[in-house]
Amino acid sequence: MRTGVFFCQLDDQWKIDIDAIAKYSANLPDVEAVLNLGVKPQLKADTLSDRIKSGNLDRIVIAGDMPGYYKPVFTKAMAITGGNVDEVRLASFQEHGAKNGKTLDRAKAIVACAAIGVPFSLAAVPGGNPVNHATLVIGAGIAGIQASLEIANAGKQVYLVEQTGTIGGHMAMFDKTFPTLDCAACILTPKMVDVGQHDMINLMTMSKVVSIGGKPGSYRVKIKHKARRVDIDSCVACGLCVDACPIKVESEFDAGISFHRSIYIPFPQAVPNAYLIDEESCRYVTTNGEKCGNCIKKCPKDCIHLDEEDKISDIEVGNIILATGYELLDVGKIEQYGYGKYPNVLTSLEFERLTNASGSTGGRIVTKVKKQNRKTKEESWVFSEEGLPPRSVAIIHCVGSRNKKYNAYCSRVCCMYSLKFAHLIKEKIPNVNVYEFYIDMRAFGKGYEEFAERIKEEGTFVIRGHSASVDMKNDQMIVRGEDIFNDRLVEFDVDMVVLAVGLIPTAGNEELSRMLGVKRDSDGWFSELDYNGNPTDTDRGGIYVAGMCQAPKDIPDTVAQASAVAAGVLGSLTSGKGIGNLSSLSLSDIETKAKTIHML
Amino acid sequence: MAIRVNPSYIDILDKFGAEDVQLCYQCGDCSTVCSHADDAFKFPRKSMRQLQMGLEEKIETSLEPWLCYYCGQCSEQCPRDADPGETMMSLRRWLISRYDITGIAAQFFKSRANEIVTVISIAILTGVYLVFYGISGGSLQVYDGEGAFLPSSFIHVFDLIIGGIMFLFLWLGALRMWYFTMVKGMSIKVPWWLYFQKLYEVPLHFLTQKRYAECEDNDKKKIHMPWLIHFGLAMGYTFMIVIIMLFIEPFQAGPEIRWSLHIFGYLATIGLLSGCIYFISHRIRKSSYVQYKKTHSTDWMFVIMLLIIVVSGILQHIFHRIGLLEWANITYVIHLMTVVPWFLRMPFSKWAHLAYRPLAMYFAAIQKAAFARQEKLVDSLSVTIK
Repeated sequence: MRTGVFFCQLDDQWKIDIDAIAKYSANLPDVEAVLNLGVKPQLKADTLSDRIKSGNLDRIVIAGDMPGYYKPVFTKAMAITGGNVDEVRLASFQEHGAKNGKTLDRAKAIVACAAIGVPFSLAAVPGGNPVNHATLVIGAGIAGIQASLEIANAGKQVYLVEQTGTIGGHMAMFDKTFPTLDCAACILTPKMVDVGQHDMINLMTMSKVVSIGGKPGSYRVKIKHKARRVDIDSCVACGLCVDACPIKVESEFDAGISFHRSIYIPFPQAVPNAYLIDEESCRYVTTNGEKCGNCIKKCPKDCIHLDEEDKISDIEVGNIILATGYELLDVGKIEQYGYGKYPNVLTSLEFERLTNASGSTGGRIVTKVKKQNRKTKEESWVFSEEGLPPRSVAIIHCVGSRNKKYNAYCSRVCCMYSLKFAHLIKEKIPNVNVYEFYIDMRAFGKGYEEFAERIKEEGTFVIRGHSASVDMKNDQMIVRGEDIFNDRLVEFDVDMVVLAVGLIPTAGNEELSRMLGVKRDSDGWFSELDYNGNPTDTDRGGIYVAGMCQAPKDIPDTVAQASAVAAGVLGSLTSGKGIGNLSSLSLSDIETKAKTIHML
Repeated sequence: MAIRVNPSYIDILDKFGAEDVQLCYQCGDCSTVCSHADDAFKFPRKSMRQLQMGLEEKIETSLEPWLCYYCGQCSEQCPRDADPGETMMSLRRWLISRYDITGIAAQFFKSRANEIVTVISIAILTGVYLVFYGISGGSLQVYDGEGAFLPSSFIHVFDLIIGGIMFLFLWLGALRMWYFTMVKGMSIKVPWWLYFQKLYEVPLHFLTQKRYAECEDNDKKKIHMPWLIHFGLAMGYTFMIVIIMLFIEPFQAGPEIRWSLHIFGYLATIGLLSGCIYFISHRIRKSSYVQYKKTHSTDWMFVIMLLIIVVSGILQHIFHRIGLLEWANITYVIHLMTVVPWFLRMPFSKWAHLAYRPLAMYFAAIQKAAFARQEKLVDSLSVTIK
């Protein structure tokens, strides 16, 4: 059938390279004429019919954004020439998703289908690949845990990969959740234990994805397991090894406000409940086994193997869930708040660990005290049980968030956890003054506004106005701000400042996105396929996002998204198709499919 | 009293340079870092808000823009890049045009072409007049005394007339400023004796520019260059005005140097010239200091004219001393061709700062005292609230 392809568009919203598509379509079978009529052409049926006649065309394809606008004039032209008006076909770019950057190949496929005479939606059916029933979950915070449990409880195999020595992520560090003030650990630890004991979950801590190959439905993943140097199965976490260890390091789990030995367990409820070696500080490891090794002698179960080496394993999975979470912005670079300069300026995570009952002060909120190292005579500020509780605390919102110099976006959780901090301080210290400096109070969730009102009623000074300076005068910290509602400049003496630091994507996201071919947005968060319609899928088939790694969100939203991801994964496993989405199809896939249908 | 809102106020101010004010989301960081904001005068945030809301009258009657010396700290840490420092500068430009009854200032600030055309026409008119005068009564070979091209006795009268016009407009502006800020904008009555009590503020701020020095970040440098330059420029300018208005006849006479008088002229020249060079180099580099990153068209006009005046003044002085009298007369004409539009332009340009800012300090001190007095009065009333 002699086919003519006419490009005409109502607008050029997606900046599609028409010339490239025209070249491509000229090589399609049966295409005799290709013509680019430009944007918003004024068409006349007479001239068009002349063209159809001169080309002796039997089929016409009108290609472009919203080409239906020009269908009447082409139909009329076809009628004038005496051809079959049913052979005026549309190749609508926008309708079939040739937009948002993946335009060119999709547009070509759309034109090809129309030229061959097969409806695009018939030719472009995603999936159909056999799906491996195992799922890889990257990151074992609350999002990874929730998604793993949902899938594993449905009887499917899950590989849960976690970089640190324990699962739990940031939520395990928290004291209370907002706005219900539930104990975070009481919600999380049962789930963690479930994960640790589940038959269908293969938990890999201290592990990292190093490479990914394959295609949707069957990804081949290489995972590097860092040597834990303690046997998980036989360690009973008795703690005898700790007393023998001479090295002290800052605790990552305690946000750096306390210390642990080189052999340690991140926290008592850690899963897997076994010790591990910090290889960067361990004297045995750093000296290549020449010194120390005290812990081996103390261990009654002989489960410490300091010479253990890193291992690499290969697995094959059908779906991958990204749940890599977030980090705090480096607040040291925002100088005016004096973080790192004044001892009692804390980040939100540090305060979270301070007020946590499992923290180094047993949950007492105290200011730091000066301590001298017995050997080096160096003085440092540390939290200890002897510290005095602060008489007044300033909590500053939006530190690095909503700021064009750092994060332009709102980190979404800071307002609420800052209010929670105010409550915890008021609850634990009598007669304390708490000042909240905020720009806009973003209490957007169920029960959040009521929570904010409650905090105000409890007597916290909630000041509409951001503070930009923390100063020290005669050993007294001073916070300046503008109280906009009361129209005055305020200056408060405070003993502690808590900074509600903005959130940024984890550093490893960049590497992962390169490995997986998943896009990230301008702020570095993983891009979802469609913000409203497909908030859990990515534009790579069979790869999903859950939790903070997609965008800042609170715990309820994270859990909800993790469960939604599990539903998507399980759906693909039961149906055996629907892996991902249209964009997982290549141009040649669609072309071949269209030709097969045409032959039938 | 109801307040009238001008919805297009933000657009008007856009032309005066406040381009980013709509970005402001009222966090108050700028007021926090400002070393001049206090409980009586809170800015820049409040002024930004008034501007966003179109409260033209509030701004018109406010002193806040004048209390800002544009150190740029607020703009440096503004999370929204709304540039509060430049906004305050733009408000000052707008206030100058508001104080001016002729409407010339507004035209100058809004359109560079208008300003250039006006300045050049005045310069040409002046030049033609001076050449005509010189040819009709004297000779190009004589610089001073009998038969001079531009005799100093004539220049003296000429200067006084030009200066008189300048001061007339400046005082009209000052009067309007007083009316806006101290009468129209005051909710309470200001006792007359406060005007005398606080009078020392005018010379204090005029001579020392000390509030500008307070802007400095004490941690960083010992000597605050922007303040020093600002101070030198203001002093040089004042010295020069006094010399040419009152002592032009002995000043122009020569060729011998009268150190008792000329030393002041040299000092003033150093102040003006270093200021000029400093401003030009910083505006070209657009670095180091926030306020130089944005340059309003009138800012260039200012430095270029000043540079011509200073350089032609220096050349004329040198030519006269080394005996090149023709050249001395020619540079004199060029000098005056720039000086006349410069003086006439002053009440309508940024230079009006020199007069309005010390006045604003003076008025601000009076207002503070008046409010303090009012508070005392209210406190002394025995009212028991139960």
